[in-house]
Amino acid sequence: MKIDWQKIEIKEMAALISEKLRGEGVDSILVGGACVSIYTKNKYQSFDLDFVTHAAIKEVTILLAELGFQRESSRHFIRRDCPFFIEFVAPPAAVGNEPLKGEKKLKTKFGTIVLMTPTDSVKDRLAAYYHWNDQQALEQAIMVAESQKINFHEVKRWSEKEGHIGKYQQFIKRLHNKT
Amino acid sequence: MLEGIFGNIIVEKILFTLYVYGEGYPLGMAKTFEEPVNRFQQQLKRLENAGIIVSRLIGRVRVYTFNPRYPFLEELKALTAKAFEFLPEKEKDAYYKKRTRPRRAGKPL
Repeated sequence: MKIDWQKIEIKEMAALISEKLRGEGVDSILVGGACVSIYTKNKYQSFDLDFVTHAAIKEVTILLAELGFQRESSRHFIRRDCPFFIEFVAPPAAVGNEPLKGEKKLKTKFGTIVLMTPTDSVKDRLAAYYHWNDQQALEQAIMVAESQKINFHEVKRWSEKEGHIGKYQQFIKRLHNKT
Repeated sequence: MLEGIFGNIIVEKILFTLYVYGEGYPLGMAKTFEEPVNRFQQQLKRLENAGIIVSRLIGRVRVYTFNPRYPFLEELKALTAKAFEFLPEKEKDAYYKKRTRPRRAGKPL
């Protein structure tokens, strides 16, 4: 299949990377802003694809080189004609103090993406809002919550554990005002 | 004290600095400990790549803090706190009791 790297969409890109790694026995999971893009159908557009894998970065480097991606710095990969930037975030895959609660699989024409669940994606964005007061991350959490089915009971439980129930209530208030 | 675990004395100094002051920057740490700045930059980069610390630019200075989203942060801070207790008072006085309260610009030091 011929790939137009300049016009490729984030979902296709994530699938290509996931499939390439999986094909060589390397498990990975997509986390971060790319999940927001996918879950909101690009209402929020991320150009970063953050993956978590327990494989050695050297192994990943060899596999991504076969797709034309060069290691830019310790954990970042780029391809000159592609707008996306790939990062392999240090494991474990976690939101705050807890490991991710499962994973979601999405089938695309380029293969299957393994990514964090919509509920974990909301928690992931809220973590940035809770700890750094990042308003963009709050907006992204709201976008995912509007677009996907979320387990709010779980998000509330996690928020309490993170010590940010007040900010969780702000998130719920903002969400209700929008819908 | 933590050098045995982390394999590097600079990492210990970074962890103690972040534990005591909440944040730090390479040149400041280098001056405090009278070590070359590149040794701090190297280890800060390594810790950042591992997700243990995060950084942000303030003007032209890159300031580092513990990553509140690091899943083992509580445990790492507890270990750092315990090790800090065992640090000789002389060392605490020399490196970890710097003035942190504000001082109006223009006032003599």
